[in-house]
Amino acid sequence: MMGIVAYLVFFAIVVLIFGVATLGLNLQWGTTGLFNAGVVGFYGVGGYTQAILTAPGRPELLGNLGLPWLVGIAGAMAASAIAAAIVGVATVRLRGDYLAIATFGIAVALQLVALNWERLTGGSLGLTSIPRPLASVFEEPLSYDLFYLCLMLAIAGTVYVALERIVRSPWGRVLKAVREDETAAVALGKDARRFRLQAFVLGSTVIGLAGALYVSFIGFVSPFDFVPIITFQIWTMLIVGGSGNNKGALLGVLIVWGLWTASGTLISKLVPAAFQTQGGAVQAILIGLVLVVTLLFKPRGLIGEEPVVSRHLG
Amino acid sequence: MHREAGKTLLAQAVADGLLTGAILALGALGVSLSLQILRFANFSHAELLTWGAYIALTFTTFATAGTPIGPLSFGWQLLLAVVVAGAATGLVALAVDRLVFNQLRARHAHNLTMVFASFGVALILRNLVLLLWGPDAHYYSDELQIAVEVLPGIRLLPDQVFVLALTLVLVLALHLVLRLSRLGMAMRAMAESPALARVCGIETEKAIRWTWIASGMLAAAGGVFLGLTVQLRPDMGFNLLLAIFTAAILGGTGSLFGAVIGGLAVGLAENLSVLIIPSGYKAAVPFMLLMLVLYFRPQGLFGAADRAAT
Amino acid sequence: MRHGMIRGALGTAFAALLAMLLPQHGVLAQTAPSCPVKIGGILPLTGSMGPIAKHIAESAQLGIDHINQGGGVKGCQVQFILRDDQGQPTVGVDAAKYLIEVEGVKSLTGTVSSGVSLPILTAVAAPSKMPMISCCSTAATFTTLAQEGKTGGYFFRTLPTVKTQAYASAKVAAERGYKRIGMIYINTDFGTGMVKDFSKAIEKLGGKVVSTVAYNENQPSYRAEVNAAMSGQPDALFLVAFPQDGATMTREWISLGGTQNLILNNALRTPDYVKLVGAKFLQSAFGMDNASVAGPTVDAFRQAFQTAFNTSPDGPGIYNQYDAVMVLGLAMNIAPDLSGPAIRDSIRRIQNPAGEVVGTGPDEFKHALALIKDGKPIRYVGATGPVSFDANGDVSGPALIWTVKGDALAIDRTMTLEDMAALFKQIDG
Repeated sequence: MMGIVAYLVFFAIVVLIFGVATLGLNLQWGTTGLFNAGVVGFYGVGGYTQAILTAPGRPELLGNLGLPWLVGIAGAMAASAIAAAIVGVATVRLRGDYLAIATFGIAVALQLVALNWERLTGGSLGLTSIPRPLASVFEEPLSYDLFYLCLMLAIAGTVYVALERIVRSPWGRVLKAVREDETAAVALGKDARRFRLQAFVLGSTVIGLAGALYVSFIGFVSPFDFVPIITFQIWTMLIVGGSGNNKGALLGVLIVWGLWTASGTLISKLVPAAFQTQGGAVQAILIGLVLVVTLLFKPRGLIGEEPVVSRHLG
Repeated sequence: MHREAGKTLLAQAVADGLLTGAILALGALGVSLSLQILRFANFSHAELLTWGAYIALTFTTFATAGTPIGPLSFGWQLLLAVVVAGAATGLVALAVDRLVFNQLRARHAHNLTMVFASFGVALILRNLVLLLWGPDAHYYSDELQIAVEVLPGIRLLPDQVFVLALTLVLVLALHLVLRLSRLGMAMRAMAESPALARVCGIETEKAIRWTWIASGMLAAAGGVFLGLTVQLRPDMGFNLLLAIFTAAILGGTGSLFGAVIGGLAVGLAENLSVLIIPSGYKAAVPFMLLMLVLYFRPQGLFGAADRAAT
Repeated sequence: MRHGMIRGALGTAFAALLAMLLPQHGVLAQTAPSCPVKIGGILPLTGSMGPIAKHIAESAQLGIDHINQGGGVKGCQVQFILRDDQGQPTVGVDAAKYLIEVEGVKSLTGTVSSGVSLPILTAVAAPSKMPMISCCSTAATFTTLAQEGKTGGYFFRTLPTVKTQAYASAKVAAERGYKRIGMIYINTDFGTGMVKDFSKAIEKLGGKVVSTVAYNENQPSYRAEVNAAMSGQPDALFLVAFPQDGATMTREWISLGGTQNLILNNALRTPDYVKLVGAKFLQSAFGMDNASVAGPTVDAFRQAFQTAFNTSPDGPGIYNQYDAVMVLGLAMNIAPDLSGPAIRDSIRRIQNPAGEVVGTGPDEFKHALALIKDGKPIRYVGATGPVSFDANGDVSGPALIWTVKGDALAIDRTMTLEDMAALFKQIDG
């Protein structure tokens, strides 16, 4: 019984980490209509920055500065923002699917940098011993996980509230206008490209934050943490839950990650070892089907975007 | 002496680049067709290469790869397998359209919704291969082909030269179909303006169907050639995804020959890159090219303006 | 300021929660084992390592079967619960957490990629005091972490670090008179480690590495890498790869007229690789593998594996995974209780120099249980020979040199522990 609680706490932490990333993506896609297919790239920039700033120094590495946890988090967000600004300047003007291909490529390139720039990233060995916040206070794994869960609840809650406010602010309304009808927005004197860039940077910053939180929870980072399939997983979460709606985004994370782990468990229980390889394929097919079926029969996701009606009408 | 060695190395890299580029071109043609006629970036296209290769594999295990023709490593059975795989992969593509993309079109889905769906379709198709054929690597023939030294220091595999030649034949055939047949005209009209095409009484659904079949067939040919010159495995197509898209965009979406030039350019760039940068970064080369193109010439080298930018 | 207050309040809340939860947790760990006893396995069954991991999983299951036929653990049958890590750290960590907390496994074995084993160790196994034996993770980082006391001593592996392979290969290469060696290596900790150690060794022995080319897995073609490696005009090629990519590269290398003086790493010692390349091109190749010295325990394992799965046990990680499971089975029987620390400490007691030798297979396991019951020391000689862990959980092992004779893999010669020690001394000084 205790074990199940302990596992659920752990599961909830992972869900909230993915949740933060999905909220960031939702600002880009759900609100602004930017197709970022390189989510894992910014997730990785955040994660690596956290590691480089906070891990204890080693002579063979340039980074590993041993700075406090909060400095790491701030640095991770700043680094993701800068990366997104550079990428964004070059790409936000592109048509939807071209932006997708470009950002997909960026994620591939960033992962290769992580793999090859050994002096900074530790190369394929990755970086170890990344400090977990307050690790010395909570010695027992379960109590630590409970603490981290509370921390994640606080952070995810803050991000959620902040994004909700932003979306409802005048700035957020412009983003939606740009998404719905760019020409009209431009005609009203809004510099669409600037707004798109701002949304791209802000969303990527949040995704980078999620990466930093993941790395400081696991205590280790390597290039294998940032493979392209993670982008796909996060997208599926957003689409299944309902893009344009932050509640939907979080629900999607819960469902998709739950399905992913539950199907893994089921396969390990039901499928004999000789066929486990095929079992994994079934699992991936299942996730693919969930995405396609959602798009076909519930294109707005489980909880779609709430229709926005001006308060003055009510 | 050293300079000589450097020169041969360069020449060999150019030769290899052109030959691998031919396979990329076959994949890029399908992407280009779907960008123009179906109007979305089909991320599942690369999986059709894998399907083509594996269908041909199944065919050759029944018929064997045959007695080698001349210097080639395979016999007429493999050529037949290309035809069979092409037809079957065309059907697979058509089935995917029926089950998913056609449904989405009927619901007037946004073209980005189609792109998402193609992510899901890619995952399903790739893992079906894993499920049906297993994870192990395969070759059409266990025989190893030794390269022929055509010029001092430059070695070519007869199979690869054959692949390059056949690619050019296929592209020419496609070009003729698009230029001369009624169907080709319909497809070109769709590329120009789907709404206008419909108004003019062109059977748009038929044009779409044939677009899927054609890109499936080209992909199958690319897949078989990839399996012939490299290896078959379930992720063989997926690993080409970025390179294929780069080739299609580089060439510009207005022209078939653009996609071919794009494929050859990407193949060349990849092979030449290791002479300059650490080979660990090779996989990023298509991406760097892509960024350069998108930044300076988003319509591609041979494309009409204003397609890529919003 | 406000931050501090919140933290204080949280701390109190946790203290209260823990007071409620912890005693129960502690009691649970102490009680007699409930049957069946569970051992958790984590392997990359899907993903690029899938074809390799499939056989490793079979080997693990064979070990579990032998334990059960030989009497199980503390009178209980052992249940093996295998999870797929898909080569993804997040998935692997989740699987480990699930196995420990929900299934209540008493020990873990896994996984292949160091990039997945490391986060499992640092985030889950070590904090939960869960012993973990890997068949295949070679990264030097594990040793460093153990030296820094960050693993709590809970990590073990049944294959030697890269150094053993690199030095032994260098020695044979020097003996064969190779002076200029090109290297193509997989861009992982395994490959980079091999380049570093091999370069050092071969220079000491009078040779030179003339070109090093890293490759990333899953590239559609390796023509460019092969060409780059050829540019140094080497008289031998050291290929550090896994069978599928390795076969592609070897074929391209030979097609393009590269030398057939090949040096191969242990992962390529599989009939698949030989078949994919073609045995006739591998007649002057040699490779290195750790341990698997010839002997009755090795033969017994080979036979059992062959019978059970109708395929050869030659392949990366297969011998090592069997030993990982058997070591766990023995240690769990030696341990006074099935708590993590007790099992951890017992893992070092399976190799008592004064003990009676026990080998592979169910009968030997039964024999070992009898010895353990009588309080007598044992000495496990497994599928990879005598398994002895050092302070960091690493094994040092003998090496063997393999070649291809006719169509089949053959063992050319073995290098004993003493040979290896002398070699290490010669190179490291």
